[in-house]
Amino acid sequence: MKSKTLLAYAGLCILAIAGGLLAGYLTFHPRHPRPVTAAVLLHEAKPLPEFTLSDTAGQGFTRASLLGHWSLLYFGYTHCPDACPTTLSELDHMQGQLRSVPATDKPAVYFISVDPQRDDLALLRNYALYFNPAFIGATGSVESLKALTAPLGVDFSYDPADRKGDYGVNHSTFVVLVDPEAREVALFTPPLQPKRMAADYLAILKYYGENT
Amino acid sequence: MLRRLPILLLLLATFAPAAWSEGPSVRAGHVWIRQAPPGVSVLAGYFSIENLTDKPLILTSVKSPDFGTVEMHESLSQGGTESMRQVGEVGIPALGSVEFKPGGYHVMLMQPKKNLFAGDLVSLTLAFSDGSELAILAPVRRDPPQR
Repeated sequence: MKSKTLLAYAGLCILAIAGGLLAGYLTFHPRHPRPVTAAVLLHEAKPLPEFTLSDTAGQGFTRASLLGHWSLLYFGYTHCPDACPTTLSELDHMQGQLRSVPATDKPAVYFISVDPQRDDLALLRNYALYFNPAFIGATGSVESLKALTAPLGVDFSYDPADRKGDYGVNHSTFVVLVDPEAREVALFTPPLQPKRMAADYLAILKYYGENT
Repeated sequence: MLRRLPILLLLLATFAPAAWSEGPSVRAGHVWIRQAPPGVSVLAGYFSIENLTDKPLILTSVKSPDFGTVEMHESLSQGGTESMRQVGEVGIPALGSVEFKPGGYHVMLMQPKKNLFAGDLVSLTLAFSDGSELAILAPVRRDPPQR
């Protein structure tokens, strides 16, 4: 009987200490731990520059288009048989993982073609829709594209054309997460894992909700 | 009954190798071609090849009657930037295997002679350095097969 009481006291003590430690931890480390597993979270959100492109929703695609909602930006080209379809299909699966999330918390997905010579908006619209009816395609002149890509650290360059005029485009493979204030907050690098991306996305949303 | 035999054989020839093909020295598996999104006429094909011999083999070419041009390519990721380069041949170690998969080796199928959709089968002929050839049927799919 006595030993049982002792045991109960010991248990209570341990609980109290654990609770105290947790409370202390939460008080002194409100921004920790880093919430993500697959994403690269930027230490400080980086405001996007002004840029002017066109999108398949029939509007100008500018910095203002990214205000008020979360966005995922992926840069590629439609003549890309391997990396681009793989990424877009993974982004579609990520959206599938987020189907129970309120619409206002879902990210808008932009496929931005860095090959404006071959990719016009009509082609991009069908291409983006094929992967997900909500995906938006966008492009613009090389110069306008660079206004957005350079500050994001997104690279693209063109291989020499072969005798049939075909050429490959070298491009960054990461996906950029942009917050509702049009700031770059995180990157997802391949291999993308839709489940982990979705979990990280929700963790980042929560983290920003609590810390801004 | 005998009349129907050719049809039966044709059906067998069509469906059996899609999943698993036997060659004299090589075996292919996990064969698939990614369906092209609308407006795109370049498709990527994937498979794994197993070298059943105790000597190294080289995959020297891939051909398909359904495409004008077929090339072997490799996606390379350097410092977060993806580029593709054409490769002339791909070595397969003795009793080893090589995988063509998204983000790595893939077959670039260009100038399709007809529209191809998920469920269609494309015949591919793989040629090897020992002179052998392997004919496989690759199903067109939207997503990678589950492994």
